Amino acid sequence: MSSPNRILEGVRIIAFTTGYAGPYAGRLLAQYGAEVIKVESFPGGLDTFRHYGAEGDINAAPRFIECNLAIRSMTVNIKHDDGKRIIKELAAKANAVLVNFRPQVLGRLGLGDDELRKVNPSIIILKLPGLGETGPKNWYGTWGFNLNSFSGMTYLWNHPGQDRPIGSQGVYPDHLGFISAPTIMMAALLRQKLTGKGCSIDVSQGEVTAYTLGTSYLESSINGVDPQPQGNRSLTAAPHGCYRCEGDERWCVVSVNSDDEWRRLCGVMGNEALAGDSRFATCVDRRRHADELDAVMSDWLATQTVEDVAHRLQAAGVPAGVVQNGTDLCNDPQLRHRDYFQKYDDSPIGPFELPRGGIIFRDMPEEEIPITPPLGEHTEQVMRDVLGYDEAAIAKWKEEGVLV
Amino acid sequence: MSAESLLPSGFRVLDLGTAMGAFCGKVLADLGMDVVKVEPPSGDDLRNEPPFAKGRNNREGSLRFAYFNSGKRGITLDLRRETGRNILLDLVERADVVIDSHEPGYLEDLGIGYGELVARRPKLVLVSISAFGQDGPYRDYRGPDLVTNAMGGLLFISGDPSMTPCVPPGGQSYVYTCLYSALGTLLALWQRETKGVGAHIDASVQASMALHEHVAFTWSSEARLMKRAGSQHQHVAPANLFPCKDGWISFFATQRHWPIFLDMWEGHPTELDDPALIDNAKRRAAADWLNPMVASFTSQYGKEELSVLFQKHGLPALPVNSPRDFMEDPHIVERGFFGTVEHPVLGSFSQPGVPFLLDGERRGPRPAPMLGQHNAEVLGGELGLSEGDMGVLAAEGVI
Repeated sequence: MSSPNRILEGVRIIAFTTGYAGPYAGRLLAQYGAEVIKVESFPGGLDTFRHYGAEGDINAAPRFIECNLAIRSMTVNIKHDDGKRIIKELAAKANAVLVNFRPQVLGRLGLGDDELRKVNPSIIILKLPGLGETGPKNWYGTWGFNLNSFSGMTYLWNHPGQDRPIGSQGVYPDHLGFISAPTIMMAALLRQKLTGKGCSIDVSQGEVTAYTLGTSYLESSINGVDPQPQGNRSLTAAPHGCYRCEGDERWCVVSVNSDDEWRRLCGVMGNEALAGDSRFATCVDRRRHADELDAVMSDWLATQTVEDVAHRLQAAGVPAGVVQNGTDLCNDPQLRHRDYFQKYDDSPIGPFELPRGGIIFRDMPEEEIPITPPLGEHTEQVMRDVLGYDEAAIAKWKEEGVLV
Repeated sequence: MSAESLLPSGFRVLDLGTAMGAFCGKVLADLGMDVVKVEPPSGDDLRNEPPFAKGRNNREGSLRFAYFNSGKRGITLDLRRETGRNILLDLVERADVVIDSHEPGYLEDLGIGYGELVARRPKLVLVSISAFGQDGPYRDYRGPDLVTNAMGGLLFISGDPSMTPCVPPGGQSYVYTCLYSALGTLLALWQRETKGVGAHIDASVQASMALHEHVAFTWSSEARLMKRAGSQHQHVAPANLFPCKDGWISFFATQRHWPIFLDMWEGHPTELDDPALIDNAKRRAAADWLNPMVASFTSQYGKEELSVLFQKHGLPALPVNSPRDFMEDPHIVERGFFGTVEHPVLGSFSQPGVPFLLDGERRGPRPAPMLGQHNAEVLGGELGLSEGDMGVLAAEGVI
């Protein structure tokens, strides 16, 4: 029986990646068995995530470790002529290149699409810049945080009627980028396998973010309205909200989508009067009186323990859930049932656990995802096994500052 | 006209997806697969979901249906009837992928679970999308988007700390899971091409969300709980939304950017020159003190004007756009992200194409199917049912 972690055995990808989206995209392909050779260099530049939270130890940055599992790490100075030559030799033997540098960075070094496709006409070059390679703002520097605000996601991610945007502390567009890039890469790999064709793909992380908000743009385009934030309110369900429970920062969500679910909710609340209250008789009534309904829900849930009430509601057929924090996730019995977390006992940052991912291949046992290697761990192996150089050549290039 | 599709033609998908799984089929259609959406004769539930085009609640008017099913073909089939299920199995024989997002056990109970499907089509890829997974203690829990965002951990860290946690817009937990499921589908097809085996993929919305923003990892590696922080980034400052004369701007300055920012800000408060503030952690710890000062600078400018000024100095900043601002942005217009869709009922409108350029060209958007639009084409033309058969099926309410 094969393992999902070997699906991409034999696929070789060169990765020029930094930060969150690009590296994690490479990690996902590596996790499923691709040989992802990540190229960094002291003189040429290191992944920025190596510098965060590591007391100067570039191999002990937690976020870097999280985003680069299972990759191979190679140091090549791509500003050196011999470094460029090595990259081209590698490109000749690779299926694809994955890059999330700013547009034209590789091109200015003589490693642009044309040069790489010259040495390997069927190679796939997948680029994942913030706003894309073309267009008047292609030179902008952006983080996922900025792309959230550019696309309209920040604007819509708010409670209704606020006088300022809130959005997110996080970098959701990076998440969308690192799940979309391997998906598009897989389509390109299938195309390459079936037709022999290579291609250059320019994936804009800003557009990937907007791609998820299509309905909002249709509201503008078809109905002529600029959509406004809805917060936790729904156009169809009520009650539909997030309510404080007993304890510090303990919250419960409830989403009632039908009259049947409403009657079940009233049953769990033990509130016969509420079930007969004409203000809340139908979905339309409940949405019309959503403020009053939220007040009723808030009063009731404030006296409940979320771990108890959310499960009682679900058991009775009412959609509800604990607003889970990091501890809750790590202890979640459903995620544990899925063998969701891979445990690493021995790492530069001590023991930890990491999510494997959102999908399981049923009846195919998963293997351990290898820990992120130290910088340059695979330089010699790649030079020897992939490119066929001997120890003397490798030693010479190390001394000359090419393989560092 | 739009560019060629990324995938070569010939991949066939049967999409039994409900609202939860609809975007997976759309992604695969946008990549070039022939995706046939199978709806009950009364129509997919999503057709009844607002917002509606021009307020008209009819079977073709749901904008969510129109977007999440764009690029697919559509047929109707009543899977609760044996005749309907037999036709489905005939279609499965000709398919590479089946997507399903009914509650776990639904297809098995109808006698068309993975085993029955594979018996008719060896090497099939079945993608089962559900809120929590195909088995386990929460298997039968209901999972609207609000619940899966909560149970997946993203809701807890979203929103202003003085307010209620705030769910992301547009059904993001479903959308994200569908992207993950599309990746799984393509991995499974690669495995089929290289190893000759099919696969059954179990996608969980909760599991797809629980890897976000290092929430679980921060607890497991540092025993630290991430909490709501509004728009303030957890490790960096200034990394927040700041007021402008005509709106807001997002500005994100790491230690590399900080000295550049001070240089461009003539007459900045001298206490900001404290060398200790070069360090990300020091600035983050001082965010409550720092942010109002930064705001006093940003509020002198318009948001677009300031983002250009910041960018010219190499500082990452972009305006907070409404959806319409984004659609009208010259960069988005020049890249041709939006294309025109012609729909028999909805008319002509702008919709995103695929979010990438293939060799410099973009594949534009296509309309969603009307209810039963491709019945004759698929069931007649491709499956070979006669007009008479189709008439009987229609009269019996199977199609």
